[in-house]
Amino acid sequence: MNILEYMKQDFVRLDGGMGTMLQKSGLMPGELPERWNITHPEKITDIHRQYYDAGANIVNANTFGANCLKFSDEELEEIIKAAVQNAEKARNESRGTQEKFIALDIGPLGRLLKPYGDFDFDDAVKCYAKTVKIGAKYGVDLIFIETMNDSLDTKAAVLAAKENSNLPVFVSNAYGEDGCLMTGASPAAMVAMLEGLGVDAIGANCSLGPAELRGVVSEYLKYSSLPVLLKPNAGLPKSVDGKTVYDVLPEEFSDIMQTYINDGIRIFGGCCGTNPEYIRKTVQKAKNITPKPVTDKNITMVSSYTHAVLFEKTPVLIGERINPTGKKLFKEALRNNDIDYILNEGLKQQEKGVHILDVNVGLPEIDEKAMLEKVCFELQSIIDLPLQIDTTNVDAMESALRHYNGKAMINSVNGKEENMREIFPLVKKYGGLVVCLTLDENGIPETAEKRVEIATKIISTANEYGISKKDLIFDTLAMTVSADNNSAVATLSALNTIKNELKCHTSLGVSNVSFGLPHRDILNGAFFTLALENGLSAAIMNPNSNEMMKSYYAFKALKGLDENCTDFIENIEKYAVSQSSATANSPVDENLLDAESELQRAVVKGLKDKAANITALLLENTNPLEIVNSQIIPALDIVGKGFENKTMYLPQLLMSAEAASAAFEKIKIKMKENPTETVSKGKFVIATVKGDIHDIGKNIVKLILENYGFDVYDLGKDVPPEKIVEEALRTNTRLVGLSALMTTTVPAMAETIKQLREKAPYVKVIVGGAVLTQEYADSIGADFYAKDAMETVRYSLETVEKSTT
Amino acid sequence: MNENTVFVKTYRENEILPVTTSEVWRYAGFLGDSSEIDGELKRTFEEMQNEIGGIFSYKVCYRQMKIADEKEKQTLPFLEGSKALSKLLKDCGEIIIFAATVGLEIDRYISKQQRISPVKALLSNAYGAERIENLCDTFCVDIKMQIQSENRFITRRFSPGYGDFPLESQKEMFALLDPNRQIGVSLNESLLMSPSKSVTAVMGIKNEKCESTSANKCNECSNKNCEFRKQET
Repeated sequence: MNILEYMKQDFVRLDGGMGTMLQKSGLMPGELPERWNITHPEKITDIHRQYYDAGANIVNANTFGANCLKFSDEELEEIIKAAVQNAEKARNESRGTQEKFIALDIGPLGRLLKPYGDFDFDDAVKCYAKTVKIGAKYGVDLIFIETMNDSLDTKAAVLAAKENSNLPVFVSNAYGEDGCLMTGASPAAMVAMLEGLGVDAIGANCSLGPAELRGVVSEYLKYSSLPVLLKPNAGLPKSVDGKTVYDVLPEEFSDIMQTYINDGIRIFGGCCGTNPEYIRKTVQKAKNITPKPVTDKNITMVSSYTHAVLFEKTPVLIGERINPTGKKLFKEALRNNDIDYILNEGLKQQEKGVHILDVNVGLPEIDEKAMLEKVCFELQSIIDLPLQIDTTNVDAMESALRHYNGKAMINSVNGKEENMREIFPLVKKYGGLVVCLTLDENGIPETAEKRVEIATKIISTANEYGISKKDLIFDTLAMTVSADNNSAVATLSALNTIKNELKCHTSLGVSNVSFGLPHRDILNGAFFTLALENGLSAAIMNPNSNEMMKSYYAFKALKGLDENCTDFIENIEKYAVSQSSATANSPVDENLLDAESELQRAVVKGLKDKAANITALLLENTNPLEIVNSQIIPALDIVGKGFENKTMYLPQLLMSAEAASAAFEKIKIKMKENPTETVSKGKFVIATVKGDIHDIGKNIVKLILENYGFDVYDLGKDVPPEKIVEEALRTNTRLVGLSALMTTTVPAMAETIKQLREKAPYVKVIVGGAVLTQEYADSIGADFYAKDAMETVRYSLETVEKSTT
Repeated sequence: MNENTVFVKTYRENEILPVTTSEVWRYAGFLGDSSEIDGELKRTFEEMQNEIGGIFSYKVCYRQMKIADEKEKQTLPFLEGSKALSKLLKDCGEIIIFAATVGLEIDRYISKQQRISPVKALLSNAYGAERIENLCDTFCVDIKMQIQSENRFITRRFSPGYGDFPLESQKEMFALLDPNRQIGVSLNESLLMSPSKSVTAVMGIKNEKCESTSANKCNECSNKNCEFRKQET
């Protein structure tokens, strides 16, 4: 019988700890347990047999760490082959009469993925794929991915399993005392992602004893529509009289497991410290319990790398600001690869309280696929909100979904046959909550009935792809009432029917309703309230709109969705002032007697807001270049000299640099009005070299260089030599700055310099970083060793001056 | 202690010594008298401190191993790699090796601040450095008490990358401790650890009281030009 069929009828009993059993059998510290499949097959077989005898349905072959980072391809195949054979032998020898299966056990690679580690997601998938292929070849019954402490790493392993075999996939994560994975994901977030990826069973193992996992188990049972598995440790190891004992004994372990089995877990076993006795006792105690049926929880959710966002009664706000449409500065940022600008749009919206960020970076002249992947990656490095991936480019959509850490929202599919054929397979494969636009080959229907008809068609087509209604969210398309007075009525009516009769979630791009009319905000706010009352689940909106935010908080308070009106009271003050009076109320003292020296003082003292405000004031009747040269640069020089003389230190230098940056923001906007003027001193390409992921020092240098008027092209961290050369050639820079913090990454710096010398011999290379010294810099052929940011600035200014005179 | 077992110790915030603000400033490159810091910079520091309240997750995994005879030493190849380490472990029959971390969230905070406020990025990076050092100190005191109760003594800790103890030894440390599984610390190709605020180290156990080594650990270091070097006292 197939494990999936078996699982429908009965509990699935798993095995217990392998590592602890191996140590008892003599495994030496530091020795790789997987090699024992070949060197001590009888011992491995014996452990498996004991677990089968204890009543396990599934034993995990001894392949936890069998991956291509630890073993050569040849040895990997030998090891997995032997591991499966050992398990088969045990299965044949066991006197147990239960159904018996063999799982390919897959543990984490032990490398943290980017951005916080240096391992690439695609490489991780490739690595897991090798193990999966060999396991499938030697005939395992299922794949058991376990002890994963990172959501993205889990996704890499699942994709490898699904893309390289047709085997059932069980996934088990390792949670800490805080109830989250090491990298932050909650159980609900994992449920959302893993259900989306189409695995067969999910749950938790390792790291904690059974009692400590209670919170995690109840979250799984609450959210999961899949069978839930549990494989805890026998508590914690303790040393008693020179012997290791785990503090939860078989009796207590099986008692606690029994309560979980009563609560609804379907698959159970043990992890570190457990042995066949733990399994035997647990199996016995489950004997007279009837398995609780696994039910569809019918919860619509998306997730980030930390948490899930649920679509329930409370409306979900989706920030629309990461989108170039109609935004000049945003378009320019995209063309210049200015990721910081885009990230700031995300950060600002998060601050305003949106729950999800829409991400649209489509512009005809850029590589949308690469840009979308990059922006999603960078957003997910610093913002823990789920993303809504918004593109009409199917390739870009696929690569963004593949690399997304969590379960994304997908914007969008529509009723056109061809469009559904392209999008639904992606939804099926990667998971996602997909926005469905109620339009088709004939355009947007005028009537509500026709829009509902399209929705019905989309539901049934999605069903053919195995996508359930809960992963569809319908947008009945808000259109401006200035063109058609009845358009809002049709949109709302369709929305109402889809929500209440088709029982699906809904979303709208609310602000479209007011296009072409004055004071759009007022109309948008009113329409938003009406839509919410008609069953709107989520709004794609601008969180900077006071009227929208007012509607949101008021609706929640009025509909009993805001206990004690707490949210309303806490937040409404910010929106109660009308926008026009808010901007007029500038904090700058208009009577500044000596604004110029005030600006210098603000920069020296590191007063960011003040520096920006005074600059704005000065710009009203002073030339921007004048402000830079007579105020900002002298202020920076004061601080720079103080730094060099050690009367000021790095934190103060940075405070001033931040204040100067705030002033420059204002200046740049002004200078756009007169593009012939420039403050630019020249170009500077900067990077932390390959293998190194330290970038605090590099970013400091970048900031100070920008203050002094350099156009800095920042390639980030862990940058290969080729890419640095390519950027140097592309920008035609005369200056390249390289940073390395580890002795192990200095060779990458040397290699970069070598390649620059070949391809761009005219470039001056400045090096810096904790481990570097003048001698080191000389030995790798750098032009200049900069001890700190100010030395970099001085050298760069000198170089620029020399080349212009 | 059974030498085949890796033990895990989790600390709560209140079990770690409170933050030494002057150390944070020193790590951030402020080499003057930090008690004189005021105004906007002080306010920024306090704001940062508020924002990172509660994000640390203090964990240590460790293992005790015998190094009395040649056979036992075979499992610890890195013992041969460093003269300074050999000197430290002279007369030690056992060692304790450990890995410690304050978790990934501080890395996320630093990254986010790199985009918002470089000053806060610098200060929180220094704060994280202080926290991990403090965690190691707390753990070492715990171990010291435990070993002293057995009438034995412990040396100070020594990490790969210190002096002539090669960074390469990280690989062996990781093979012995499996810190990825135990406490979520991984090692990358450049031998750098993630989360970044993590430490691995070795300590020796002796029957004799250890010679009082200098309280200033900078004296052990060969980088005489380091601007963070504490003056010899």
